[in-house]
Amino acid sequence: MEKVEKKLREEAKKLLADKKVDVIVGYEAGTLPLTATPVFITTPEEADKLVWNPFCQHNLAKYVHDLISAHKESQKRLKPDDRKRKVVGVVTKGCTSRSLVIHLQERQYERLDISILGVPCTGYADRRKLAAKLGGEDILEGTLEGANLKIKTASGEKTVALKDVLAGNCVTCRFNNPVISDMMLGEPAPAMNPAAEYAEIDEFEKLSPEERWAYFEKEMAKCIRCAACRQACPSCYCKVCFAEQSMPQWVGISEDPSDTQVFQFMRMYHMVGRCVDCGSCVSVCPMGVDLRKFLKKLDKDCFVLFNQRAGEKVDFPAPLQDQRMDDKEEFIYSPGGGH
Amino acid sequence: MSHHDKPAGKKSEGWEPKIVAIVCNWCTYAGADLAGISRIQYPPNVRIIRVPCTGRINPFYVVKALQAGADGVLVSGCHPGECHYISGNLSARRKFATLKSFLNYIGIEDGRTTFTWVSASEGERFAQVIKGVTERVKALGPATKLVKNLRDAAVAVAK
Repeated sequence: MEKVEKKLREEAKKLLADKKVDVIVGYEAGTLPLTATPVFITTPEEADKLVWNPFCQHNLAKYVHDLISAHKESQKRLKPDDRKRKVVGVVTKGCTSRSLVIHLQERQYERLDISILGVPCTGYADRRKLAAKLGGEDILEGTLEGANLKIKTASGEKTVALKDVLAGNCVTCRFNNPVISDMMLGEPAPAMNPAAEYAEIDEFEKLSPEERWAYFEKEMAKCIRCAACRQACPSCYCKVCFAEQSMPQWVGISEDPSDTQVFQFMRMYHMVGRCVDCGSCVSVCPMGVDLRKFLKKLDKDCFVLFNQRAGEKVDFPAPLQDQRMDDKEEFIYSPGGGH
Repeated sequence: MSHHDKPAGKKSEGWEPKIVAIVCNWCTYAGADLAGISRIQYPPNVRIIRVPCTGRINPFYVVKALQAGADGVLVSGCHPGECHYISGNLSARRKFATLKSFLNYIGIEDGRTTFTWVSASEGERFAQVIKGVTERVKALGPATKLVKNLRDAAVAVAK
């Protein structure tokens, strides 16, 4: 991990000094112990701020999209010949790279607009799981030592194994390395436990519709519609979100539970073949809504029906951009059975 | 669709389901026309919404219809390979395969949403589809999930 970090800083310096990129989006140490926060580096001197550790949780593709679209917007007032390309370098783990692929599939920017510094990833620590391990106590100091976290709290020192606090999406991750990159820093990481990827979904599917609805209703009742999930999601980049459209008004603004359910249902449905399971929405949700239980289902369906995983293949249309004459259609109704 | 004449709670006497049928102009709508011209009888529970192509249907239409109190939603277009716009129904098929599966997953009854193909020459099939869908929805009773119940909310406020 330190080796990757060292190499990352070196390469970042080089890219900035050679003016190959205008800005590098990466992670720096957070203000609280055992956290990391996104950082935007524009000079070689600043590159030493960059870190790479199991607290680098954000999907930076979100910032790449924001930076490039803001730049393109600002270039609109210039004559076409005077327009300049802004190249964004981005520290990229598996899920981030798949989000970048989705942006490329959806023609949000060109491949030349980004420079991908690939890093191998072995998962990030889930702050909720960690808090549960510490009984909700504040972390006063913390260091990562090998596979363990040494943490100092008000009641004394504690050791927590990193693997016990990895985020749910990391535990069954199959994309531990970027699917595309301009340079790969460090040795590729092995896959986690992708065989158990859909175990939770399979379990949930076995419940009766009433039980499933009860769970959906309970989870959605927590939602305060702050839209943090949408703000954090790299696949949610519409200039005007359906949730804010007023002509037509897709989502009602009343207190009725159905308005929240419809908002969440449709936001999640928009992720068919576009959710990379990076866990951004889950980690930013202030109410702890179990979004992954539903989003992972879309991923499963996409794989079962269209044999594709979101952002897996470059130069290949996304599942809902594409269609085949022989797509599965068991769900098509036929009066009296048969087709 | 009005929320006010919806029976609250369980199956009430004389209840008839309201079904929203979103159909494409070129095949199913013409199929419905043919059923009419041929004087084939089918249940009067469907409200037909005509769209240019099933590929034009925003999946939100289905969800919004359910929220507005439809007891069932039917989407029907041209058979695969017969789309007036070549592949609109194939795009729709991918969208609705995932939409229906996702609706079922959160606990919406399977019979609430129906997707099918009816061509312009299939007046008989159209009638059969409407009959079948109406029976399926009748068996399920009034929709309660995802439904916006303004009347109950208003009563609660008044109290």
